[in-house]
Amino acid sequence: MATIATTSLSMATQRAIVTSENRPVRLAGPVRLNNPWNLASRTTNRMVSFNPVKATPEGGISDIVEKSIKDAQETCAGDPVSGECVAAWDEVEELSAAASHARDKKKAGGSDPLEEYCKDNPETDECRTYDN
Amino acid sequence: MAVSTIYSTQSLNSTHFLTSSSSSSTSKHVFFYRRNQSQTNRRFNTTIITCAQQQTIVIGLAADSGCGKSTFMRRLTSVFGGAAEPPRGGNPDSNTLISDTTTVICLDDYHSLDRTGRKEKGVTALDPRANDFDLMYEQVKALKSGVAVEKPIYNHVTGLLDAPELIQPPKILVIEGLHPMFDERVRSLLDFSIYLDISNEVKFAWKIQRDMAERGHSLESIKASIEARKPDFDAFIDPQKQYADAVIEVLPTQLIPDDNEGKVLRVRLIMKEGVKYFSPVYLFDEGSTISWIPCGRKLTCSYPGIKFNYEPDSYFDNEVSILEMDGQFDRLDELIYVESHLSNLSSKFYGEVTQQMLKHADFPGSNNGTGLFQTIVGLKIRDLYEQLIANKATAPAETAKA
Repeated sequence: MATIATTSLSMATQRAIVTSENRPVRLAGPVRLNNPWNLASRTTNRMVSFNPVKATPEGGISDIVEKSIKDAQETCAGDPVSGECVAAWDEVEELSAAASHARDKKKAGGSDPLEEYCKDNPETDECRTYDN
Repeated sequence: MAVSTIYSTQSLNSTHFLTSSSSSSTSKHVFFYRRNQSQTNRRFNTTIITCAQQQTIVIGLAADSGCGKSTFMRRLTSVFGGAAEPPRGGNPDSNTLISDTTTVICLDDYHSLDRTGRKEKGVTALDPRANDFDLMYEQVKALKSGVAVEKPIYNHVTGLLDAPELIQPPKILVIEGLHPMFDERVRSLLDFSIYLDISNEVKFAWKIQRDMAERGHSLESIKASIEARKPDFDAFIDPQKQYADAVIEVLPTQLIPDDNEGKVLRVRLIMKEGVKYFSPVYLFDEGSTISWIPCGRKLTCSYPGIKFNYEPDSYFDNEVSILEMDGQFDRLDELIYVESHLSNLSSKFYGEVTQQMLKHADFPGSNNGTGLFQTIVGLKIRDLYEQLIANKATAPAETAKA
């Protein structure tokens, strides 16, 4: 019992702060029901048209990688040990790593746009899930 | 700014920051975010409320680009509980990852020269001259003492420094990148440090795997890039391993003669002795030298099998214990059999290592020593954190009584 009492005390403290700023209070219920691992199986085909804005499309970075390799090869043609040459190949590495991370990100998160959206907005109607 | 902290004794749950009324709207936003997180994850037994400075422990992870830092971070945050995600509503190119307990910041954000600047001066990102260690030290120190910072963002796509982002002091701060142990002042702030030491053969194999499909890349370009960066890597990155509390070395296998495919790996976990709150994992008998092939009558393994080695040794004049695994797991019973023979894992229940490995079976290295040792290091860091907090939690209570 002591446990529950202390827990609710901390909740009360939080709500007091939230309301003092005139922000809407979100109750625990609906938020708790929105378990992200439930969303995948239940909401596969809803809101497919929603597309979160991505910073850089993958095609974009592939072009930059390709260009950086050409630049490095040209820079190093004259002097293969110069600082400029080394810096140019370092840029290739940096961009190749970034391109690989972008691919991983796309694989991991981009598959279900609704899931992405509901992670940020679990309280909205389209993100509600019900146990019964 | 006064920061009140509520933290639970069962340690790995979320922290709430209650900032005073003069705080900016940005920090309130962060507060909202943390509240939602805690609602899905409220399992703690007792809650202590104190108005003292936040306790942040700092972990350093050093490795070259493309050597598995991201995978390691995903395993680490998973062990701590809760998925790590980029800051919500922030710069989509932010390098930061935040979970309930942990914030991971990428040290590339402390580049003092952007891509154009490095090109003009002819220096690589590996060169200390391209990095601002003063700012790195100031900000890590501030976070460690419970103060939020406005950290720059290095944009890896554009190569420019973007507008800074607000970082709140977390329970566990991980600084990952090329130079976490390079600067003596930054190094002194680390509670634990890890170095991923990837041999040249394996680095080459991994980069081929990563880049060959990329337009414009060829075996020549991959090789040229590794070779061009190598002098700076040897001068500025590699020496940091002498300071690490744990080193994960990744080498080609010795089970297949003359193998250079880089598919089967020999991985060594080098653990420093005498580090506070960190006691190395061992095999069968602590401090002895043991060679173990688990595959035999009780356990059948597929080709080329699995081989373990455990021994005390010295590494850069430090006393260390080395646990080595050569080969790979092909079946679940191989993994659980191995786990049951390792001691001092700091797991919370039997089979936790196996469970973590299975949970992330899609991550690179889940079937070999890289995944196994990364998971074990994650458990050891969780244990280190819990010991540190338990020690510090008793101190403020005694002060309050006095």
